[in-house]
Amino acid sequence: MATIALEKLVKRYGPATIVQGIDLSVAEGEFVVLVGPSGCGKSTTLRMIAGLEDASEGVIRIDGRVVNQVEPKGRNIAMVFQNYAIYPHVTVAENIGFGLYTSKLPKAEKQARIQEVARSLGLEALLDRRPAQLSGGQRQRVAIGRAMVRNPSAFLFDEPLSNLDAQLRGQMRIEIKRLHQKLGATSVFVTHDQVEAMTMADRIVVMREGRILQIGAPMELYERPVDVFTARFIGSPTMNLLPGALASRDGADGVALEDGDAFVRPPIALVGNRAGGGGPKVLLGVRPHDLLLKAAPDSAAFTLSGTVAVVETLGTETLVHVDIGRRSVVGLAPGRIVPSPGQRVTLAADPAALHLFDAATERAFPRPLLQQP
Amino acid sequence: MHEAPATPGTERRAGRLSDRLTLSAKRVLWAWLFLAVPVVFYGAIRFWPTAEAFWISFTDWNLLRPAQFVGLDNYRRLLADPLFWKVFANTFLYLILGTPVSLVLSFAIAYHLDRVRFLHGFLRALYFLPFLTTAVAMAWVWRYFFQPVPIGPINNLLASLGLPAQPFLRSTLQALPTILVPAVWAGMGFQIIIFLAGLRAIPTSYYEAARIDGLSERAILWRITLPLLKPTLVFLVVFASIGFLRIFDYVYNMNTNDPGGPLDSTKPLVIMIYQTAFKSYDVGYASAQTVVLFLILLAISLLQLRLMRQPT
Repeated sequence: MATIALEKLVKRYGPATIVQGIDLSVAEGEFVVLVGPSGCGKSTTLRMIAGLEDASEGVIRIDGRVVNQVEPKGRNIAMVFQNYAIYPHVTVAENIGFGLYTSKLPKAEKQARIQEVARSLGLEALLDRRPAQLSGGQRQRVAIGRAMVRNPSAFLFDEPLSNLDAQLRGQMRIEIKRLHQKLGATSVFVTHDQVEAMTMADRIVVMREGRILQIGAPMELYERPVDVFTARFIGSPTMNLLPGALASRDGADGVALEDGDAFVRPPIALVGNRAGGGGPKVLLGVRPHDLLLKAAPDSAAFTLSGTVAVVETLGTETLVHVDIGRRSVVGLAPGRIVPSPGQRVTLAADPAALHLFDAATERAFPRPLLQQP
Repeated sequence: MHEAPATPGTERRAGRLSDRLTLSAKRVLWAWLFLAVPVVFYGAIRFWPTAEAFWISFTDWNLLRPAQFVGLDNYRRLLADPLFWKVFANTFLYLILGTPVSLVLSFAIAYHLDRVRFLHGFLRALYFLPFLTTAVAMAWVWRYFFQPVPIGPINNLLASLGLPAQPFLRSTLQALPTILVPAVWAGMGFQIIIFLAGLRAIPTSYYEAARIDGLSERAILWRITLPLLKPTLVFLVVFASIGFLRIFDYVYNMNTNDPGGPLDSTKPLVIMIYQTAFKSYDVGYASAQTVVLFLILLAISLLQLRLMRQPT
């Protein structure tokens, strides 16, 4: 197993800078997910770690050794590609065997290793087949098998689940996670899917436009996003953002929303001493799962009232899109309660669940109340 | 009303043919309507004369007197004709020298051209250019290249280097490979383009995965690139083979005084057919030769398809 460290890593293609000096260290055995929209530089970063791209600037260390000038094969890493990159002209066994190409093991031992990997991935019965005869999930397992067979010091995954259908993706997520728990191999996983990031990562790295916005454990990112982008990117459905301004009313600090005359008193520390007379503009964030349909909310709760526009029934819960002023927010109703469009409803949230962002900088106000011990 | 009420509209329309056909029947009808033109044209221009050739090969037709059935006489004569066996050997020499040489060269060029970014389009166009040029013009230019001192540039070069001049087209040994030079060169443009397309179709992640697994360039070429190019190779091998088996224009134009010479050392089957039919007017005999050529082409194409289309 190995550690991976990136120091001030930069990648330029001509005049365009794709990766703008990122720092990241991956601990031994850690599962780190790089997540972000397409073009954010996450794949390029991974490819630089693999050695498929040269770094324009900065240092890449694997196990403390600088590997900037080391060929991919010398880095002892394995990579799983989005399109699997398994060869159609050879069998599953031979595909897995490619991973052992450089190893000097005797033939019998290579065969034993291939068998062992196939067994652990449930591919034994398929060893003599060709990739064309496999399903998407099986092909992906072959690709993982080829990566595993060599006992690499780190696994790199480049959007490996993107070509699978939703059900299979969910299944493979669990399989990869289980495999990681079993092997304990250092892994870097690139995806644009925040669900994959949340479900698989020990730590998530949120990237945007070649920069790292935030690094943290899934729940940390969910509870304490540092800016609007991360707040909206992590969590599904996305967080509601309501524009407002800091204000004082009846001697209390709070947020006055633009739509309607709702005045919210988020936890005091949230606002701190920033609430002044003029009141800087802010964005009040609340996740749909914190914003619940309530007939009679208690007086301390943050409430929004409006008319139901669209209802999405998911079975276990119902997403309710409510028009409030000119804006639409998404709230949640328990599974069997399905309000009808046009109905007037009230959504309520615990003030402690609210997020507050500076509207100008889009940075979050700190949330001391929810700080982890 | 006792009868089922039929709407007046449908009743009237039912009369027309186009409405009585199902949608798929109409589609087939239209397809055949369009296909009829090329099918009739091909039948009249290609297939009927081909079939006719088979018949003529069993006759002694010489353009003047009416054809008389002579059975297998033409074929017997062919097998006993030493010229036929000479020509047969020549034709296969063109095939077994030309096909591998042209494919290896084209692949080597395409493989390296694929990696060149600088002037890529220009170089590709340069290699493709011979394919656009007429064979006659090229044959005559190359013929000039191979002339003796002081005309031929190649012999001039050899002379200036102090090397002995070569007879090239005047030697029974060198003439056939000499004729192959422009033939190979002319076909390369097409082969390079096809190889390039084949190379481009291989996903780059295959190469990246191979680099991570530590395969050398050589191993990547032999274990990944070439096997994945198999469909392209099959196509080009069959295509090139047919081309070399039918070689005519380079042979004819590089030695117009004595096509196929010197001493029949470069004569391929097609030239023999041409001379039998249009110099000796022995059309029946020429047809028999054509049938033999046809059978050879058919056998070789089928054999190659079979050999190379093993499960991938």
